[in-house]
Amino acid sequence: MHRMSRTAFKRSLTIRKWPITMIGEMNCPVCKNSAMVVLELDEVEVDYCFDCQGIWLDAGELELLLDGSHVANALLKSFRPCTDCSEEKRPCPICLKKMQKISAGSESEPIIIDSCKKAHGLWFDAGELQNVISKGSLDAGNKINKLLSDIFKEQ
Amino acid sequence: MWEQIRANKRNSILLLMLMAVVLGALGFVLGMAFVRHPAGGLFGVAGALVLWLILASISFSSGDQIFLAASKAVPVTKKVHPQLFNVVEEMSIASGLPMPKVYIINDPAPNAFATGRSPESASVAVTAGLLGKLNRDELQGVIAHEMAHILHRDILFVTIAGVMLGAIALMSQVFLRGMFYRSMMGGSRRRYSSNSSGGGQAQLVMLVIAIACAILAPIMASLLYFALSRRREYLADAGGARLTRYPEGLASALEKISQNTIPLESANKVTAPMYIANPLQKKGMKLSNLSSTHPPISERVKILRGMGGASLTDYSQAYQKFSSHKSSLTSVTALKSDEPVALRQGSAAGFVGRKKQARNVGDIMRKVNKYKFINCDCELKMKVPPDFKANAVKCPRCKTVHKVK
Repeated sequence: MHRMSRTAFKRSLTIRKWPITMIGEMNCPVCKNSAMVVLELDEVEVDYCFDCQGIWLDAGELELLLDGSHVANALLKSFRPCTDCSEEKRPCPICLKKMQKISAGSESEPIIIDSCKKAHGLWFDAGELQNVISKGSLDAGNKINKLLSDIFKEQ
Repeated sequence: MWEQIRANKRNSILLLMLMAVVLGALGFVLGMAFVRHPAGGLFGVAGALVLWLILASISFSSGDQIFLAASKAVPVTKKVHPQLFNVVEEMSIASGLPMPKVYIINDPAPNAFATGRSPESASVAVTAGLLGKLNRDELQGVIAHEMAHILHRDILFVTIAGVMLGAIALMSQVFLRGMFYRSMMGGSRRRYSSNSSGGGQAQLVMLVIAIACAILAPIMASLLYFALSRRREYLADAGGARLTRYPEGLASALEKISQNTIPLESANKVTAPMYIANPLQKKGMKLSNLSSTHPPISERVKILRGMGGASLTDYSQAYQKFSSHKSSLTSVTALKSDEPVALRQGSAAGFVGRKKQARNVGDIMRKVNKYKFINCDCELKMKVPPDFKANAVKCPRCKTVHKVK
């Protein structure tokens, strides 16, 4: 498989300025036919699939959540393109193009997540987002962290 | 105001007549070319007049519906956005017009337009982005501007002009494409039937007509643009300021709209002149442009902010002071009947913050798209799309089961 250059990879992770993506309804990239439900708590919003418990984080949402580019950059810095991932490629729920695999978290125990090449957002399978957070990729006071630990504390 | 109404009615009739003449001439040429009979031209004229009648009745009966559909506007009830309805009600009372129908366009770019044949059948459409970005005073300013368009009967003229322009554009497309396919298909056939000269002649006529249409369409477009030009926008601003007695609301709304960098996806060249701010404005394009349908927003804002009162006289004084135009905006007779209107104070409306506003836009769009909103007791909000299959959802936070259908 051809390897993406580092700059191209970084560009694909950049966050768009405005959440123009939240207009239409989206289907879960894993379950394909099930519509995702939007969950909102304390002004934080994620798209959630009730069938597979996966979570979609919209690019605009990410930007609104992280509120400041240095935090966003810190998060994105912990992401590395995953070259030898065997996991099935999934379509971006917005543009339906195949997403790229990304490993996040520590080097020894990476968590593999999906990122849209057109920077529409990030997809986390069930439990993955919580894992990324607990592995310390996000700072403790972060809003996503709070939201997720609050919503999904018993899972 | 009355002058403006008269001018608009006159222009509408003139435009319809012009269109009849143009279509009749086209029909005559076509009839002469295709019907091998001395009275062929008359057949053509008759056909063209039928087409004209259809077009005219369409633009009168459902021109507004076409525009609303083309802009993907959705009719909404008071439940979706009570504040918008309140503001429209307020402005319809202030202007003495019947309550127009209210539409929301599912688009994050802030903009608005009014359409309809008469004040009785008028519609006002605003984008979700507009609702999410503006506070109450600003929204009132925008709605007042649109009500002023309705009051001045600008909407009738624009709707007719739009349908006519659309028809001409369509016809030129049909001719151009028809010519293209004819030459593709006929290319091989002509070799065998080169003795029939009629086909070649008809093709030549088609070519001429296609070219004529291609020339005509942009001329009609600029006619529309000039007709709906800056003067109408300035006068609608003046009317809006008079209705709200608070020009600052419209001024800051215009500023917010001009800061937007997202183009409106459902707008095109035909519908562009209808909006409160040019939806096709590209970033970096020079604002003051000869071909621009809208006056530069910075100038409109300056005039609105420079008003001493809220009457038409105040506006035209500010206009002469701040605009680059030397001529006066209104006639002396219009100003004679003008009564002084005092400015009012702005209402205290707090700034909600960017996050909250973005969230608002999203929620309005979802309401328009018929999402179900479930507020769980544990404060988690679930927004369920209309094509969600299960009958119930279990709150992932507190495990309460909520019925969806």
